[in-house]
Amino acid sequence: MLTRRTLLALSGFALIAAGSGWLSEARAQSLSPATAQQFVQQTGDQLVSIVNGPGSTEQKKAELQAVINRSVDVTGVARFCLGSALRRATPQQLSEYIQLFHEVLMNNITGKLGEYRGVRFAVGRAEPRAVGVEVHTVVNRPENAPANVDWIVQDVGGSPKIVDVVAEGTSLRITQRSDYASYLARNGFSVQALIDAMKRQLQG
Amino acid sequence: MSRLRATLLLSALLALAACAKRPPASDPDALQEYEQTNDPLEPTNRVFYAINNGLDTVLMRPLAVTYKTVFPEVVRGHLHNLLANLSSPVLFANDVLEAKSRRAGDTFMRFVINTTVGVGGIFDVASGWGYPSHDADGGITLAVWGLPNGPYLFLPFLGPSSPRDVTGFGADIALDPFNYASHHGWSTFNWTRFGVSAVDARARVLNETDQIKQQALDPYATFRSLYRQHRQSQIEAVESDNRHTIPNWFSSR
Repeated sequence: MLTRRTLLALSGFALIAAGSGWLSEARAQSLSPATAQQFVQQTGDQLVSIVNGPGSTEQKKAELQAVINRSVDVTGVARFCLGSALRRATPQQLSEYIQLFHEVLMNNITGKLGEYRGVRFAVGRAEPRAVGVEVHTVVNRPENAPANVDWIVQDVGGSPKIVDVVAEGTSLRITQRSDYASYLARNGFSVQALIDAMKRQLQG
Repeated sequence: MSRLRATLLLSALLALAACAKRPPASDPDALQEYEQTNDPLEPTNRVFYAINNGLDTVLMRPLAVTYKTVFPEVVRGHLHNLLANLSSPVLFANDVLEAKSRRAGDTFMRFVINTTVGVGGIFDVASGWGYPSHDADGGITLAVWGLPNGPYLFLPFLGPSSPRDVTGFGADIALDPFNYASHHGWSTFNWTRFGVSAVDARARVLNETDQIKQQALDPYATFRSLYRQHRQSQIEAVESDNRHTIPNWFSSR
């Protein structure tokens, strides 16, 4: 009984999703709701203007990548998504995994560029959470019902970063972590198996 | 019809069930994953997932693609509004059972406005008039009553579920007045409504499901996670809706 809203999460995935992070060091620093709100507005404006703007697909991909690297704590998200396997990974495996995670994420986001043409968004209220600030937005795509998308923003190394995107109640980082956890569980909890699967994903 | 059917289905499922092996305590990571997913029937669930997936590939997905190709978004939107309006009685009953009077009021007003001004529900006028739509169903009601979710179930045809949601699903069918009408032609009407609803629901998630199947390493686990998170957020939305019953204009006088 999956409803369409459940799955809107995944449409949120592609463009907005960009991921999430987990840096325990960031807890000490605090971020004001107003700053977080402004940050989401700016980042969202940049993403929307790239998606709706002129330019070739290749050009747009490069621009999107730059915005995402600047505003999303991709490495933090990658570490979170590895779950308990984080402790078992060798340093080499970990760095290879994080690199692959970056590429998979960018692929997932840029692969669906066309579907987001005409996207608009409106920033709503911002609320402090136990860790970071949650900023509510409503994302409108042509031919689609409006989607509630919440952005979790945290202070990472002195600047605000997006660490999670929650579309219609479904968290991107938790969903991704479940996917990897299940894959690991079915493949002898081998980090190498996960790395190989991600490589195959990028080739396919 | 279907409360019984759902119960039978559930017992058949439980009888068939092969259980996932619980990892030993010496492997705390594996044990933790096992506890978190709460999917002791996973091997059986995966069999049904594979069957459903096969049926979807040859039947539901092609139907949904055709439906989206043949009808423009405007027509599909109106049809969806019409179907949503027809489910108002069940929605209203659940709002009441959840003891959320403002939600029940919203549903009542939506039904009245959309059935009349909205020409039988084709146009969703009420949303613009301050009566937005919301979710309510038997599974959510049972959750609000404090019934635990129980283990994850993947059911033939119905997809992701749980004992609580299956029970709620059966209750919704029992609550639907259309299922009790027995005049000539009603059975055709009900089957048509059922069929069109299924195609509408499938078409509305077409891009998203395609994307999950393409991008997830384990689509079964991804759907499981999305389903659980989404249901939880729907339940929280109901529980946190504590609007007063007395209108503002009255209490502020």
